[in-house]
Amino acid sequence: MTMEQDIEAMDQFPLGMRVLAVDDDQTCLRILETLLHRCQYHVTTTDKAQTALELLRENKNKFDLVISDVDMPDMDGFKLVELVGLEMDLPVIMLSAHSDPKNVMKGVKHGACDYLVKPVRIEELKNIWQHVVRKSKFKKMIKSIVTTNCVSEGNSDQNGVRANRKRKDQLEEEDEEQEEQERGNEKKPRVIWTRELHNKFLAAVDHVGVKNAVPKKILELMNVDNLTRENVGSHLQKFRLALKKINNEANQQANLDSQFTQMSSLKGLGSFHHYRPIPLGSSQFHGGAATMRHYPSNRTLAGMFSSSLPRNHNDGGYMLQGMPLPPLETLHIANNNNNNKAFPSFTSQQSSPLVSPNNHFVPEGHQGFSPHLEINKRLEDWSNAVLSNNIPQSNLHSKPDALEWNLFGNSTSPNLDTTNQTSFCRDTDFGSPNAAQADSFDPLQMKQQHENILSPMTVAQLLRSSSGNEGLFMGQQKLENGFMASDTGSLDDIVNSMMTQEQSQAEFSEGDWVWVA
Amino acid sequence: MELVQMQKSLQDYTKSLFLEGVLDSQFLQLQQLQDESNPDFVSQVVTLFFQDSDRILNDLSLSLDQQVVDFKKVDPHVHQLKGSSSSIGAQRVKNACVVFRTFCEQQNVEGCHRCLQQVKQEYYLVKNRLETLFKLEQQIVASGGVIPAMELGF
Repeated sequence: MTMEQDIEAMDQFPLGMRVLAVDDDQTCLRILETLLHRCQYHVTTTDKAQTALELLRENKNKFDLVISDVDMPDMDGFKLVELVGLEMDLPVIMLSAHSDPKNVMKGVKHGACDYLVKPVRIEELKNIWQHVVRKSKFKKMIKSIVTTNCVSEGNSDQNGVRANRKRKDQLEEEDEEQEEQERGNEKKPRVIWTRELHNKFLAAVDHVGVKNAVPKKILELMNVDNLTRENVGSHLQKFRLALKKINNEANQQANLDSQFTQMSSLKGLGSFHHYRPIPLGSSQFHGGAATMRHYPSNRTLAGMFSSSLPRNHNDGGYMLQGMPLPPLETLHIANNNNNNKAFPSFTSQQSSPLVSPNNHFVPEGHQGFSPHLEINKRLEDWSNAVLSNNIPQSNLHSKPDALEWNLFGNSTSPNLDTTNQTSFCRDTDFGSPNAAQADSFDPLQMKQQHENILSPMTVAQLLRSSSGNEGLFMGQQKLENGFMASDTGSLDDIVNSMMTQEQSQAEFSEGDWVWVA
Repeated sequence: MELVQMQKSLQDYTKSLFLEGVLDSQFLQLQQLQDESNPDFVSQVVTLFFQDSDRILNDLSLSLDQQVVDFKKVDPHVHQLKGSSSSIGAQRVKNACVVFRTFCEQQNVEGCHRCLQQVKQEYYLVKNRLETLFKLEQQIVASGGVIPAMELGF
């Protein structure tokens, strides 16, 4: 759908929301279809998971939401959830006759937005549209914030946010154009670390072993045209940094366990650390689910984290259990304006904290979060370095990298410690510094569909690519860094907090962080 | 039989099914989903249910009759039956499935056999009742009447 159509549809929303319903049980499928029709959604049904995937792949914009049964003969419902989240970044609701919490947990881990128990009642279905709104609204908001680039204006009040929103449409259009240009422009060589590409990367690294991974070998193994050793090198570096961070965080994680367990869902990040649920900050499945969706999408990193991260989903890629890699799409965000900025569109606020003009990380928001400071500096350095290095492909290359890998550290900077860079999420508590960090990690957890998505997993955050839009999932960071994941999670709050960070936006040299809206 | 009488019979009959626990409120939901644009919804869904269930019960019988029972196969069937029966409101069938599943988990063959019998019994009961119900409805419609909305007086 075009932007205009999108906007129009939004007006009517939730009427006419396009739902894909999947259930091998004919009886249930028929009932579900009728219930959905009653809610005035537009329904497509299939009894095979495989068919559903094909339908989705055929046209990614054809559906707004997927509802799927868990127990299907041709494919495990959880797997379907993962794949849908990974590839299409759509909200997925799980359906099952199982009501036991373990299954619900599993669903959340795999990235489901919600989990309904059969028999489904119409009341439950009447509210499912919220998941779509959260996702898209989030995305749009982020986009507008990012593209507005009003950081330097120190726009920290509500008005600023509103102004941004008003410009949202315009920006969105610009963004789209930019994105299209970026994508479609064949002349400029760009290295975009797509999921597939990243998966290849992971496969290669895995093949040689993380310790022995050298860019040259990886490049050879990947066997991708137009990829230079340099690209691989910087990507690898980020990757390593992220790994380190994750490991460190895993250690910190222990402290926050108890808090997390109260949190409802395991958002897609799943047990990133040690199979700990990532507290999304909401104890209801509904609430927290949003972020989950995105997680599965970027699991590529998973493979690499051998230590504490069980590698659960290896279908087709490396899946870091529940750790979504930053959406690659985020990388495409129009950075036009900020080519030289690490994070073109998105950055402003976010970048600022991270990369203050003077390399001055002001971690106000971070409570005792010194690593951030360090990391921010490093990121800044790194992004600078990256930007300067990758000339032909710099922007693109670094961007995607940055987006996902920023967290991993700057190639130039020594170590991005594991501090929660990922904590960028949008915690309203975060001060600007957080914002910056959030940015980088935004991809990791953009999906803050539900407010307070706390994701202790930095890596996951890093990895979160597309869902990045929601990005605010950093809220969870708080747990790790003592940040408070705000429960409010209202988008307004988030936006506001983000706006505050715009102040020092200056240059977000990170440039790689794309806020995918 | 007069139309009014038929309608009354239908209502009483339906009510009794609820009171006996053969059907639950989910069935009412189905009835509410039926409207002019979807006039045969309930009977269509119920027919689907019968078809699916016949097949499942068949598979279950076969699986349980094996020398070595593969509970990994038995459980999903029961699970599916539980899901579909709960979706149409066949309460007793669903409850029997729940019990069945616990025996499956315990890998108790004897228990499973008994449960299967129980499930079958409940299933045939609800099938029978629903078929009677539809017949009554058809008679009413054939006589030019409308099917009365179910009153939730109980």
